[in-house]
Amino acid sequence: MSSRSLSVTAALVRDTFREAFSRKIFWGFFGCSTALILFFIFILRIDVVQGAVATVSLFGNTSPARNVQKIVRQAHGAIAAFLFTAGMFLAVFASAGLIPSVFEPGRIELLLSKPVERYHILIGRYIGNLLVIALNVFYLVFTVWLIFGLKTGVWTYGFLWSSALTLFVFAILLTVVVLIGVLWESAVIATMVTFGLMLVSPILAQKPLLERLLTSETSRNIVRTLYYVLPKVFDLGRICRALVIGDPIGDWMPIWSSAIFGVVVFGTGLYAFSKRNY
Amino acid sequence: MSFAIETEGLIKIFRNRWSGKEVRAVDGISLRVEQGSTFGLLGPNGAGKTTFVKMLLSCAHPTAGRAAIFGRDARHPEARRPIGYLPENHRFPTYMTGRSMLDFYGALSGMNTAARQKRIPELLGTLGLGDWGNVRLGKYSKGMLQRVGLAQALMHAPRLLILDEPTDGVDPIGRIQIRELLQGLEQQGVTIFLNSHLLSEVELFCRDVAIIHRGRVALEGKVKELTAGSGYRVEAEQVPDRLQEELRAKARAVAQRNGNVEFVFSSREDANQAVDRLRSEHCAIETVARTTSTLEEVFVKVIHEQ
Repeated sequence: MSSRSLSVTAALVRDTFREAFSRKIFWGFFGCSTALILFFIFILRIDVVQGAVATVSLFGNTSPARNVQKIVRQAHGAIAAFLFTAGMFLAVFASAGLIPSVFEPGRIELLLSKPVERYHILIGRYIGNLLVIALNVFYLVFTVWLIFGLKTGVWTYGFLWSSALTLFVFAILLTVVVLIGVLWESAVIATMVTFGLMLVSPILAQKPLLERLLTSETSRNIVRTLYYVLPKVFDLGRICRALVIGDPIGDWMPIWSSAIFGVVVFGTGLYAFSKRNY
Repeated sequence: MSFAIETEGLIKIFRNRWSGKEVRAVDGISLRVEQGSTFGLLGPNGAGKTTFVKMLLSCAHPTAGRAAIFGRDARHPEARRPIGYLPENHRFPTYMTGRSMLDFYGALSGMNTAARQKRIPELLGTLGLGDWGNVRLGKYSKGMLQRVGLAQALMHAPRLLILDEPTDGVDPIGRIQIRELLQGLEQQGVTIFLNSHLLSEVELFCRDVAIIHRGRVALEGKVKELTAGSGYRVEAEQVPDRLQEELRAKARAVAQRNGNVEFVFSSREDANQAVDRLRSEHCAIETVARTTSTLEEVFVKVIHEQ
C-alpha cells in the first residue's frame, strides 16, 4: 500500500471518528465501558492474609481463595455475554448511520470527485467504523481483565480472545450494514436487517431439532441452507463462552462459514457501489 | 493538443428498475473545452447539465461515448486529480470545522500534511473566512458554506475547476470577490468550467459557452460572437408623427423613451437612411449605436427554436 493510499485511508478513518464523536457514539460507548469498569473496581473486594489471597468478595458473595479462578471466569463470562448480546445490539444500532450517511446526495458526489477509487472510500469508512467499536471493546475488556488480574492474580487469556471474537462478529454484521447502505442508503433498513440476522440466528442454531420437527424435505433444506449461509451469531456466542471458561472449541465451522458470509456480502457491497450512479 | 475536457457522443440513459422506462438524460454530447479557457454550460432545468458534469467526475457511468480530462479517460481516478469541484447542492458534514473539512478533502486529493497545513490558512484568508476556520460548518451561513466549498475545490491547486452555481447564496460583494478570484485563476491558466443558471454571470465571466437542451448541445460558441451584431439603435428627439410612421415601417422595433423615440434597425443601410431622414427633418440625434443581444436573449431564442 502506497503512502498516498495510507494517507487517504487515514483521512477516511479520521472522518469516521469525527462523525462518531459528533454523534456521541464514541463517547456513549466510552461512558458505558467506564461505568462498567468502575463498577467492577468497587464491587470486587479481595482480602489478603500474610501476602496471599484469603477471600474474594463479588456481588456481596464471599468465597475462599481456592474458588477465585472460578469467580473470575464467571465474571469474565458475564461481561463477555453482555458484550456479545446487548453490546452487539448497541454497536450495530449506533454505527448503522455511519455508513449510509456517506451516500447522502451532495456529500457522495464530492467524495467521488476526488482521485480515489470507490472501493477505497467504502473500505476506509468500514475500517473507521470498526475501529470506533474496537477501541471501546478493547478498552472495556482489557481494563476489566487488568483489574481482575491485579486484584486476584488470575490471568485468563480466553477473556481477551473472546473480545476479538466479539469484534469479529461485529465486523461481519457491519458488512450487512455496508451492503444495505449502498443499496438503499437507509440506516433504518440496515439496522432492521442486521437485527433480523441476529434474532434468527438462535432459531437456526436449533437446526437438529428443526430437522426433526419439520415434515417436508423442502422445509428442512431451507433451514439447512439458511443455517449454513447466514452468519452464525448464536454459535459464535457459544464459542465465545468456551473461550472465556477455558473449554476447548469443538467446531470451527461457525467461524469460517461466517467469515465467508462477511467476505461475500462486503464484496457485493463494493461491487454494487462501483456500479451505482450518483 | 489535449483539451481540458473532451467528450465524444456521451450518452446517459436512466432506466427505471421496475417499470423499465428509459430517460435519455444526456443524448450524445460531444464537447471540447480548451485548456485555460473559461467555459459556461447553460441549459434549462432537466436539460442534462448536472448528469453531464457527473459523468466527467465519474459519479455517473456513461451508457455510451467517452469523456477525457486532459487527455485521460475520465473513469480513471487519476483523471480527477487535476479537478477541483464544487457541487450545486452540496452537503458538507456539519460536524466538521472549516479547517478540518479542508484538511479532509485535501488529504483525499493527495496532499500531504505539510502542504495542507500551509494551504488551509491561505485559502481561508483569501475567501474571507480567516476567523471561521475553527467553527463548525453547522454555524456557517449559506454564503459562507459556498465560500468554504470553493476553498475546498481550490485546496490542491487544480488545473481544472468545475463549479456548479458557485455564487449561489453569496451576497453581491462576495460575488465580486469570487469573480475576481476566478479571474485571477484564469490568468494563471486554470481552466474554469461554470455550470450556472445566472446567465449574466456566465456572460460576464466566460469566454466560451454551450447551451444544452434535452440532453443535446443546442448551441456552442464564443460568448462575444453569439451576442454580437444583432442590429443598430437610433435614438432621436422631437420626431414628427409622420416620420415616426415612415421609419416604423423599416424598423425592427420602436420604443418611446423620456420623450425620445428609439428605433432598432436590422441593417446598417436602414440605420443610415433613418439618420439622413431624421436630420432632414431637423430632429436631434441622441444616440446611434450597434446593439448586441444579451446571452439571455440568445438562450431564450435557442430554447424556443428547439
